[in-house]
Amino acid sequence: MADRELTFEIFRYNPQKPEIKPYMQTYKLKETPGMTIFVALNQIREEQDPSLMFDFVCRAAICGSCAMIINGRPKLACKTLTNTLPSKIKLFPLPVFKLIGDLSVDTGTWFRHLSLKTEAWVHTSKTFDPKAQEERMDNETALRIYEAERCIECGCCIAGCATANIRDEFLGAAGINRVARFMIDPRDERTPAEYFEVVGCEEGAFGCMGLMACDDNCPMELPLQMQLAYVRRKMAAYGLGYKATQGVKLA
Amino acid sequence: MSRYQTHITDVLVIGAGLAGERVAIEAATHGLDVTILSLVPPRRSHSTAAQGGMQASLGNCAMGEGDNPDIHFADTVKGSDWGCDQDVARLFVETAPIAVREMAVWGVPWSRVVAGKRTLPDGRVIEEKKEKEGLITARDFGGTAKWRTCYTADGTGHTLQYTMDSIVIKMGITVHDRTEAISLIHDGERCFGTVARCLRTGELRAYIAKSTVICTGGYGRLYSASTNAVINEGSGMFLALDTGVVPLGNMEAVQFHPTGMVPVWILITEGARGDGGYLLDKNLHRFMPDYEPKKKELASRDVVSRRMTEHIRKGYGVESPYGPHLWLDIRHLGAKHINTNLREIANICRNFAGIDPVKDLIPVRPTQHYSMGGVRTNIDGAAYGLKGLFAAGEAACWDLHGFNRLGGNSLAETVTAGRIIGKKVAEYTLGASLTFNPELVEDAVKKQENRIKGLINGWHGKENVYELRNLMQQNLMDYVGIFRNGKDLQKAVSNLQELYHRSHKIGLRSSGVGANPELAQALRLPGMIRLALCISYGALVRTESRGSHFREDYPKRDDVNWLKRTLAYWPEGADLPELKYEPVKITELPPGDRGYGESSAGSEGGKNG
Amino acid sequence: MLQKTLTKSNKTDLYLDLVELTSGLLLAGFLWTHMLFVATILISQETFNRLSEFLDTYYLSYIGIPFVLVIALFHFVIAGRRIPTRIQEQKIVWQHAKMLRHTDTWTWVFQAITGMAILVLASIHVWMVVTGWPIRAMNSAERMESFWWFYLILLIVGEYHAGFGVYRQFVKWGWFPRKPIGYVTKVITAIMLALGLAAMVVLVQIGGAI
Repeated sequence: MADRELTFEIFRYNPQKPEIKPYMQTYKLKETPGMTIFVALNQIREEQDPSLMFDFVCRAAICGSCAMIINGRPKLACKTLTNTLPSKIKLFPLPVFKLIGDLSVDTGTWFRHLSLKTEAWVHTSKTFDPKAQEERMDNETALRIYEAERCIECGCCIAGCATANIRDEFLGAAGINRVARFMIDPRDERTPAEYFEVVGCEEGAFGCMGLMACDDNCPMELPLQMQLAYVRRKMAAYGLGYKATQGVKLA
Repeated sequence: MSRYQTHITDVLVIGAGLAGERVAIEAATHGLDVTILSLVPPRRSHSTAAQGGMQASLGNCAMGEGDNPDIHFADTVKGSDWGCDQDVARLFVETAPIAVREMAVWGVPWSRVVAGKRTLPDGRVIEEKKEKEGLITARDFGGTAKWRTCYTADGTGHTLQYTMDSIVIKMGITVHDRTEAISLIHDGERCFGTVARCLRTGELRAYIAKSTVICTGGYGRLYSASTNAVINEGSGMFLALDTGVVPLGNMEAVQFHPTGMVPVWILITEGARGDGGYLLDKNLHRFMPDYEPKKKELASRDVVSRRMTEHIRKGYGVESPYGPHLWLDIRHLGAKHINTNLREIANICRNFAGIDPVKDLIPVRPTQHYSMGGVRTNIDGAAYGLKGLFAAGEAACWDLHGFNRLGGNSLAETVTAGRIIGKKVAEYTLGASLTFNPELVEDAVKKQENRIKGLINGWHGKENVYELRNLMQQNLMDYVGIFRNGKDLQKAVSNLQELYHRSHKIGLRSSGVGANPELAQALRLPGMIRLALCISYGALVRTESRGSHFREDYPKRDDVNWLKRTLAYWPEGADLPELKYEPVKITELPPGDRGYGESSAGSEGGKNG
Repeated sequence: MLQKTLTKSNKTDLYLDLVELTSGLLLAGFLWTHMLFVATILISQETFNRLSEFLDTYYLSYIGIPFVLVIALFHFVIAGRRIPTRIQEQKIVWQHAKMLRHTDTWTWVFQAITGMAILVLASIHVWMVVTGWPIRAMNSAERMESFWWFYLILLIVGEYHAGFGVYRQFVKWGWFPRKPIGYVTKVITAIMLALGLAAMVVLVQIGGAI
C-alpha cells in the first residue's frame, strides 16, 4: 500500500441548486498511514473542494452520523480504513433517507419519526420517587436490554434492506430491534397486544423478507437476525393466541 | 426587509446533548413550551461518547461500601485543586444519586450488582453482598476514594442519551436539529433568543424566547489534537462571550489525556499502561523511567502527559504526517492478554488505525480531552451579565470542576445540573413575560446576513478559513498545551491576535449556497479564535500552577494570590479579552494537599468520561 | 387516521406470513419427496413403476396432485406479494442488488425470478404429465428424452427455489442460526440436484434405448 494514490469518485448533488443534476466527481489523494475515509474526506474538503458536504461527529463509531455507501456497501466512514479498499473508492450517500447534499443524508428525522411511530420509550405507570431506592434488576436482564440498545441508528441496515428501499413505511431492522429492546425491558408495561399493534404487521416484523443485509452490514455487529426473529415469533405467538409472557429470553 | 422565519417559544435550549435535553425535559414538565436547537440529531451528540460512567455515591457495590455525598464532595473539591465553588459541589453530590435513579426509571439499563466473590485484575478478592444484588453497581475511576462510577457496560453515555431523548420524544418537545445558533439576540441587559442558521438549507431563522439556555458542550476542537467530537467547537461559549457582557470562567483550565491515538485522536484508556504497557520514543527507547524512576508509565495522568510532551520537545518524537508522536508498546503483554483484557483497545487500534497491537506499536500523544471553563453562571445556572440567559454542562462554568475535573463527574454533571438548572430555568421563565423589540431582532438577523454576504462575496478579503483554523489549533497545541510558560504563552497570544484580525478577512472559495460547510466554519472561526485567546491570555496571566494548568515558570500552587476564578470578557472591538477575577466559594473544605503525590500541582484527571 | 382505527388488531399480515411459511414448507417437502420418488428409477424401472402404481391404487396421486396445485397457487399469490409490481420498484431492487453485491440479496432476487419461472414451467410439466397419464417409467423416459433441456431447467430452478426458500424461512423465524441452516439447506439441495440429474440421465438412456 506504500504511496498509493487514491481516486475518490464522489456523488455530488446540492438540492439547493437543482439546476445542476447529480453527477460523480473525481478527487485524487495521496494515501497516508492509518488513513480512514474520515481523514480523507476532510482533507478533500479542506484542500480541494470546500463545498463538499458530508457528516461526521464522533469519528469513533459511536454516534452513527457518517454511514455512507462505500464501494457498494453501507458502512461507517470513520471506521473504514482506506488500506482495506482498492485505490479507486466510490462514495454514495445512503439511499432511503432524504438527501441533504452530496454524502449527507437526514437520518435524524427518519429515526425520530421511527421512535414516534413505535413509541420507543419505557411505558410505565410508576412515578419517580427521589427518596426511594432504585428498583432492582437482574444484571443479566440489564445486559440483554443493552445488547439491543447498542444500536446507533446509523441507517446502514435500512440502506441495505431491499424492503426498506421500496416500502416507505417499513420499520426496518433498526426499528424492529428498537421494539425488541422495550419488549425485553421488564419496566415497560406494554401488553403483547399493544406491541402487536406496532409491529404485528407488514410494516413491522412480517414485512421482513429475510435477506439479512441488515445483519451482514451492521457496523455494531448487533444480532439483528435473532432480534427480528424474536419479535416475529413473539408476535406470531400472540396473534395465534398463545399466552406470551414479558421478557422472554432471546433464542 | 430581510426574509427569515421567526419562532417564538418559552424556553430555547441550544444543544441537545445530555445537559440540554435534561434542562428541556424539566422545563417542559413545568408546562412550558420548549424548543431545542442542535447541530446534529440529538442522539449524535458528543454525550454519547462518554463510555466510562457517571459518579454518584450510591454505595451499592462492595468497593463503594460506606460511600456518601461527603466523600464524593471531598474527591471533587480535591480534584478541582480547590478551584470549584463548594456550594455547587455540595448541591451536585447530593443530587447525583437522585439523577442516576431517575434515569433508571426512565429506562437506562444500568449495570447491576451481581452477588458473589470475584478477583480483581490486581489480585484482590472482593465479595458483592446478596442484599445488594440487582441494585445499580459502580466501577473504579481515577482520583476517587470509593468505587462510585455508575455505568452501563461500555456504553454509559449512549444509553443515557438514548433514554433522555426517548423522554424528549415522548413529551413531544420540539427539536430543530441541523440548526446552528450563530448569535444571541440581546440588548445588553436581557437575552431574547438567537439568530440561527439552518444547516439543511442555509436559511436564517430568528428564535425568540423568554429564556435561552446554552448547552453546547466543550471546545475541544480548538486544539489540533482532541478526543472530542468534531462538533465541539465551543460555539455556545463564544455566542455568550460575543455579547460583551457575559464572562467566561477559568478558560485556561484545559484537561489533557496522555494517550490519544494518532491520527484520529481516539482515546486509548489507561488500561494499556495499567496492565504494563511502555511508552517508547523514536529510538524505541523506554523514556518514562528516566523522568519518573519510581512510577514510570504509571505516574498520574497529567505527569505522564507532561513528560511525554517534554520528551517530544527534546526532539525524540516520531515524525509523521500528523505531527510528532510517541509509541505505546503493549506487544510484550501477549496476544491472549491483549485480545481479552484489552479488547476494547485492540479493537480501536484495528478499526481506526489499521494496526494490530499484538504486533505493532500504537502511535499516541497527549490530547486535549475536556474543558473545565465555560459560560460563567451562578449556582442556579444563570449566566453572569444577561437576564434570561442560562448555561449547563461542559459549556458552563457552574463551577463544579475548578481546575481539574474528576473522571465520571462530567457525565454526572450533565444530568444532575440539567435537572437542577432546568428547574431554575422553569421558575424564571414562569415569572417572565415575552417582551421584545422587533427592531432588535431585525437588526440581529441583518447583521448576520451581512456577515454571510461579506464572506460569500469576499468583501473583506480572501483568507482561507481552514488555513486559519489549522494555525489556531496548532498555536494552542504548541504553546498552550500541557506545559505552559510565559514566553510560549506570549507567543500564542500574539499569534492568535494576528489570526484574529485575519479571521475578519475570510472569503469563501465555494459558493456558500445551501448547507455549505465552508460557510458554517467561516461563521464560527472568529468566535473560536476569541475563545483561544481567552484560554491563552488567561493562562499567561495566571502565574501559578493549579490542577491542569501547569506553568513551568511557576510550578507551585499559589493560594495567596491565585485562589480565584478568572472571568474573561470581550469588550466590543477588542482583540484581547479583559480579565477580571472573583473569589472561589469555600464553604466546607479549606485548601490543602490533593494527596496525589508527584508534584504539588499533580492531578488525577478524568478518565474517558 | 380513521381507516387505521376501524381496522385495528388486524391479523391479516400475520396470517399471510404463516400461509407463506406453511405453503412454502409443504411445497419444498413435496418437491423433495417427489425427487426421491423419481430417483427410484436409479434402483430399477420396476421399483419406479411399483411406487407409481401404489400411489395410483390408493388414490394418492389423485388427491395429491390437485392438493399440491392448490397449495402452489396459494404460495404463488401470497409469497408473490413480496415481489415489487411497479416497474420503478423493480428497478430499485435491481439497482440495489447490483450495488450491494450481497449474496443473500441476490439469492432472493433469483428466488423471485425462479418463482415466476416455476409457475410457467411447472404448469407445463403438470399438463404434460396429466395428458400422458399414467406415470410409468416408459412414459417418463420418453418425455425426458425429448424434453431433457426443459426438465434440466425445471430441476435447477425448482431445487434452487425450494432450497433457499426453506433457508429463508428458517432465517426469518430464527429457529436456528443462519450459518448452519445455510449449510444444511445447501447440502440438501445438492443431494436433490444430484439425485435428479442421475435420474434424468437414467431416464434419457432408457428413452434412447426404446
